[in-house]
Amino acid sequence: MTDTVVVTELSKWFGPKVAVSEVSIGFGPGVTGLLGPNGAGKTTLLRVIAGLQRPSQGEVTVLGVNPRADSAIYQKMSLVPEDEAIYERLTGRKFVELAARLARVDDPEGRAETVLGTVELLDSAHRKLGGFSKGMRQRAKVAAALVTDPEVLLLDEPLNGADPVQRAQLIELFKDLGAAGRTVIVSSHVLVEVERMADRVVAMVDGRLAAVGSVPTIRAAMTDRPRQVFVGCSEPRRLASALINSDGVVGVHVEDGQLRIEASDAGGLARLLPQIAVDSGISITNVEPLDESLESVFRYLVEGS
Amino acid sequence: MVLARHLYRRLMRKWRVIGLVALASVPGFVYWLAAFDADPDELAGLYSDIIAIAGYSFAIAALILTVATLREERDAGTLPYIYMRPMSRLSLAISSMLAAIAAVLTVAFGGWLTTAMATVALGADISIALPGLALFVAAGIGYAAVFVPLGYLVPRSLLVGLGYIIVIETILASAVPGLAQFSIWRIALSIYADMAPVFGDEASEALGPVVAGVGGGVAKIAGTVLVGLVVLTWALRRRDAL
Repeated sequence: MTDTVVVTELSKWFGPKVAVSEVSIGFGPGVTGLLGPNGAGKTTLLRVIAGLQRPSQGEVTVLGVNPRADSAIYQKMSLVPEDEAIYERLTGRKFVELAARLARVDDPEGRAETVLGTVELLDSAHRKLGGFSKGMRQRAKVAAALVTDPEVLLLDEPLNGADPVQRAQLIELFKDLGAAGRTVIVSSHVLVEVERMADRVVAMVDGRLAAVGSVPTIRAAMTDRPRQVFVGCSEPRRLASALINSDGVVGVHVEDGQLRIEASDAGGLARLLPQIAVDSGISITNVEPLDESLESVFRYLVEGS
Repeated sequence: MVLARHLYRRLMRKWRVIGLVALASVPGFVYWLAAFDADPDELAGLYSDIIAIAGYSFAIAALILTVATLREERDAGTLPYIYMRPMSRLSLAISSMLAAIAAVLTVAFGGWLTTAMATVALGADISIALPGLALFVAAGIGYAAVFVPLGYLVPRSLLVGLGYIIVIETILASAVPGLAQFSIWRIALSIYADMAPVFGDEASEALGPVVAGVGGGVAKIAGTVLVGLVVLTWALRRRDAL
């Protein structure tokens, strides 16, 4: 399927801080989950795709257009920003109508009613946004983003603050939009949420792409990868001899009073290590992965499951 | 116009407008106090002297108001709601500028009205106050043209703007004749000087080397607006919106 959003060799830095580093990826119709811990670069990537920030290097096209060069693209692309910021003095209805008027939508009042109904906010639409709960604000923002019926919808942590019922409703909405052929990119740091709505997951760590695929594929890829960890303990040589014949342990080296363990199955090692330590009466002082970025993704995926 | 109306409403918060009109009214109060016991023949000259000098309070009010046009949206994180709309960056810049000008003219009218009321209260001819409206209007438009782009581009734009008014307009431009030509207040004052029935000594000193003339002043203000629009459009196109 043709990609509607194409990111090529994209880097974005702010002074000495690199937020996104050499990312190349395409997004097509359907829901894609942008997964990663806080500070991974998800928000920056979405902002650059949205044209709010310009790339320091590389390029982005949305429906074949550079969003920084052609503002007409905003008829077809919307963003739900992560910030809680919203026009607190406006009512929910006025806020969505304003979005419709600014987008030059025909019949802005009618369209506002439709999208407010879509996010189930009609009953509260007369209230000022300042009195809305966080979840309601998120839904109002989603409604404002939907006024143009966009082909590309960027959602930055849209489920933050939503209660379980609201989450379920929004997830269903995003899935419906994806099923209708829209390109929906949803950032989140909660794996379970992404798993529920996304056909495809893009994992980011430290501004780089760490993995792309379905959640099971990513998890399998990360688990199968040989990993190295440093283990500090009271008796490294005894722990090494206990580990050396274990399944999933490829090699064990004693270096500066620490063990460097190579494992083919990191998950297995994580279970095996404390068990052997307890059985042998060896106290473990620290466990430090050598490949931090991949470890972050791995830990993230494992913890979230 | 939808965007201009939205930005105008954002700028015109009740207490902010009341505070800024009060600030812009300082020349009116000063005039009323200073001219209370003045000779009727001196009222016109005194009006021009006081409005030329105390009028900087309006410059500060204009700064506080216009610099917030887009800065407030950026700082509040609401800029994406107006930036990500299918309108050209020039349209966005024009709408922002129109909103700022409309807002600053509201405050300008409030400030001028105080001077007019003081004139009436002192028993002077109201005609001496009418050119003051041109001064406030021209200065308001000129400051909006400078401070709207400044607010978008610079995080601490209020401080930078205060630096411009206090250091450049009131201190350096008095000492360096060349700089006076770029002083918004003096350009606006040159329009006033051409229209006022009497232009006092203090006012002439404040005007400095800038030649009095409505045509020249209006052209310079129009040029400033044009440059402001170009800079703002460039900034909206080339600089990060967040």
